[in-house]
Amino acid sequence: MKRARPLLGTYVEIEVAGLAEPALARAIDAAFGAIARVHRLMSFHDGESDVSRLNRYAASEPVIVDGWTAKVLEKARILFDASGGLFDCAVGHELMRSGRLPSQGLGHVESGSFAAVELLSDNRVRFSAPIAIDLGGIAKGFAVDRAIVTLRAHGVREALVNAGGDMRAMGKTARTIHIRCPGLDGRAVQAGLLRNAAIATSEAAATVMKQRARLPAPGSHHAYSVVAPTCLLADALTKVLVQTQDAHAGYFARFGAIAFVTSADIAEVRVA
Amino acid sequence: MKASQWIWLPAAVISTAAHATTYFSVEQVQRAIFPGASFSATSLPNAWRASNGGYVIVDRVVGKHEYITLAVGIHSNGTVKQIEIMDYKESYGYEVREAPWRAQFVGKSASSPLQLNGDITNISGATLSSRHVTDGVKRILQVYETSLKGKR
Repeated sequence: MKRARPLLGTYVEIEVAGLAEPALARAIDAAFGAIARVHRLMSFHDGESDVSRLNRYAASEPVIVDGWTAKVLEKARILFDASGGLFDCAVGHELMRSGRLPSQGLGHVESGSFAAVELLSDNRVRFSAPIAIDLGGIAKGFAVDRAIVTLRAHGVREALVNAGGDMRAMGKTARTIHIRCPGLDGRAVQAGLLRNAAIATSEAAATVMKQRARLPAPGSHHAYSVVAPTCLLADALTKVLVQTQDAHAGYFARFGAIAFVTSADIAEVRVA
Repeated sequence: MKASQWIWLPAAVISTAAHATTYFSVEQVQRAIFPGASFSATSLPNAWRASNGGYVIVDRVVGKHEYITLAVGIHSNGTVKQIEIMDYKESYGYEVREAPWRAQFVGKSASSPLQLNGDITNISGATLSSRHVTDGVKRILQVYETSLKGKR
C-alpha cells in the first residue's frame, strides 16, 4: 500500500507491505500523524510552533519545548560540534534577510551560531544571544525517522518513507535509489541499492553557507547525497557535504554514513 | 554502516518522465477519508457529499514540473479532515512534446544488474515544493464555501 500527503512543505510518500490492508492503512495514518506533529512543532512559519516560540522568547527566558524538539536540538548540537560549526541551525537571520523566511515579530534577531543554544533540564531551552533557528535542515529527516518508528510500532516490517527525496527504508527489500541532479531536468542518475538505511540529497542553492565554507563553483550542477543509519543524520550531513565538497571527511564514517556527489556533467557524458 | 545497507550501482541515467504514481481512485479515496459513509453527487462534478454530512472534493493542481490530483475531505462543520494525494506525475515540457518518450532509460549500461523497467519511485534530490498543493487546497476550500456549504 502506498499513500502520499502534502506535509513538511513537500510530498511525503509512505509505502508499506506485509500486513492486511486495514492494518496497513491504520499504520500509515499513524505515521502521517507523527510527521504532521513534527511539522507543527518545528515549522518556522507557524507562530505557535516550538521553533517560533524559541525564536521569539528564548533569548530573554528559557522556553519549554516538546520532547521531540528537545531531541532534535540535542542532535543538532552534536552535529554542530562534530562538523566544526558547518552544520548550524542558527541560520534564521540569513534566511530572513534573503527573504526565504518570514521575519514577522523577529526584529531583534542578529546573525549568530548554534553555540548560543543552551539545552537545559526538563526540555527547557535558552539562547545566550539573539539568534533565530530554522530546523529545515534536520527536521525532515527526524520526521521520516519518527514515521518509521511509528510504522514499526504498528507491526509493519517492510516500509519506505520518502519526504520529498529524503527517505528511509525498513525491512529486507533492497530499493534502487536514483539521484535528481540540478541541471538534469527530467532525468535522474541511478546511484545504489538502499536497505534498512536512509538517504538524503541537497543542492548548493538550497543550503545556507556558514563560516569556513568552501563554496562550490557558480553554476555547478551537483547533488550532494548522504546515506546513513537514520534519516536525521542523512538530512543534516548533506548540509555539511554541500559546504565542504569533501565526501571523505572523517565525521561521515564516525556517524556510520557514506557521502557522495553526483555531477550533471558526468551524467551528460553518459547520456551522449 | 553495514555493507548490506548500501550497494553501489552503475551511474545510469533514467528519465523521470516515467515517474508517475496513482495512490487512489475516487471511490477508494472517499472510503479512506470517510470510512463506512455512503456518497451522493452534488451540483459540482468533482465533489461528493458523505452520508455523515462531510464532503470529498477532488481537484487537479499543476506545479512547475508535476501534475497532482488531490482529494480534500471536509467535516460537516467545514473544517478540513484529511488531504490525500490521488496521483502524482512528473513532466517536463520538452518530454511532453516528444511523445512517446524517446526512451524510458537513457544511457542505461548494458552491464546493469537490475531490471529498471518497473515504476521508478525512489528518487532522492532537492526537495520538491508542495506550495501548489497548498494553493490547490485553498482553492478547494473556497469552492466549498461558495458552492457547497450549508446545502443539502
